[in-house]
Amino acid sequence: MDTIIKIENVHVSFWQNNVGIYSLKDLITQRKKPFKTKTILHDISLEIQKGDSLGILGRNGSGKSTLLRTIAGIIKPAKGKVTVNGTFAPILAIGAGLEQELTGYENIGMLLALYGTAKRNTNAVDNIREFSELSNDVLSMPVKQYSSGMVARLAFSISLANDSDILIIDEVLAVGDQGFQAKCIDKIHQLKTQGTTILFVSHFPEGVLKICDNAILMEDGRITHRGTAQEICNNYRLLF
Amino acid sequence: MQNITRIYALSKRNVILRYKNSLVGFFWGFFKPLLYLLIFIVIFQQNSGVHNYILFVTSGLILWFFFSNVTGQSVGSIVGSAGLLKALNIPAYFFPLSETISELFNLLLTILVFFIIMYWCGIVYSPILLLIFPCVILFAIFALGLNLLLCSVNVFFRDIGIIWGTIQPAIFFLTPIGYSTHSIPEKYHLIIKCNPVYYFIQLGRSILYDPSMQSWHLWRNCIIISLGMYAIGAFVFNRLKNQFISAI
Repeated sequence: MDTIIKIENVHVSFWQNNVGIYSLKDLITQRKKPFKTKTILHDISLEIQKGDSLGILGRNGSGKSTLLRTIAGIIKPAKGKVTVNGTFAPILAIGAGLEQELTGYENIGMLLALYGTAKRNTNAVDNIREFSELSNDVLSMPVKQYSSGMVARLAFSISLANDSDILIIDEVLAVGDQGFQAKCIDKIHQLKTQGTTILFVSHFPEGVLKICDNAILMEDGRITHRGTAQEICNNYRLLF
Repeated sequence: MQNITRIYALSKRNVILRYKNSLVGFFWGFFKPLLYLLIFIVIFQQNSGVHNYILFVTSGLILWFFFSNVTGQSVGSIVGSAGLLKALNIPAYFFPLSETISELFNLLLTILVFFIIMYWCGIVYSPILLLIFPCVILFAIFALGLNLLLCSVNVFFRDIGIIWGTIQPAIFFLTPIGYSTHSIPEKYHLIIKCNPVYYFIQLGRSILYDPSMQSWHLWRNCIIISLGMYAIGAFVFNRLKNQFISAI
């Protein structure tokens, strides 16, 4: 099998605001160093095979989203190396990348163009409308008037419109209604059989079990357990 | 090629967003200079000692408002695009760049309208007018450099936007737009010459208002200033860009 994502000894660190300095005024009046470096991911190594579906579990703040963004190239690691041999769909997080003031259609146009590849596919807009089950009226409204479920439907449908090798899902299925959730899981299974690699972050072990073969458990920026989805879900439940 | 599509999509978004929910949309771009022009005519025209005052002021105002709009829009461009930056792997500099491009597009439309209206104000149509395009490009490079600086620092210190909004009117009045440098005492000329915007206004004026002001020195100064500002902005931006995601 081909390795599609290879992460070697990756450290990711952020500048953290030193207590309460958010403006130049504070910087001058408090005379402290404005930032200190905080390490979010410690020495992460991971190899993901093509067609694999990996679940990522962990408490809030354990570095799951940071890991996803590092893999997608959005965050550059401070140390270590990330090698990816494939294309990404935009990260699926709730409402990610949608512009609140623009209508559904304008958002679709913008995100497809930003993503680049789907531009050639003239049916993309129709496919998105069909999959999201949002009516013409709704798609002509500004996204700020959408309910959170409608936002999730639109974001998910846009992400799926791109034929990419890797799909990254960050805790998005929790919002849609049951019908749409089932539809999404079907779609993910379908993509999986077509050979799409899937990275799935969730707080619900049931969701991970439905979608993923393997999983990892993260704690404080480290991978503490690796194994099959079943094993890791059991480990995850033990945390609480 | 893909990047050009992306920058185009972002610029288009900016144009749509700017005029969305507004009463007269694109025409706001003309109201502001027009209002200032009227104020200047009422207050300063008598004592300006400038020949053809309307053409003189308008040529400065259209360039100034390009500068003021583009910097004002760009300061928050990184912070305002948090959603996109966190979901897609797009270079962060596309955001200030696309703000600059969409404002440049506005400026070109304004200049076309200006060329037509100024017929009644005594503009001389000659090939020299075409020099306004390289001049505008230089000014845009300068503005882009400043934008890169402002928007990247604004990610960490959110009052940069407020500070910039405060000092902008001061720079406006320090720039000889409504008055000519001849009406300023010699001893204050140094202050005016320290203001980089001054050189671009002079260059624009030497094209639109009085071709006899054209000089090689003016072009050279503008090229040096715009490239210098771009270098500073790009340097700061590159040093900070890896930390944007965690701070927005």
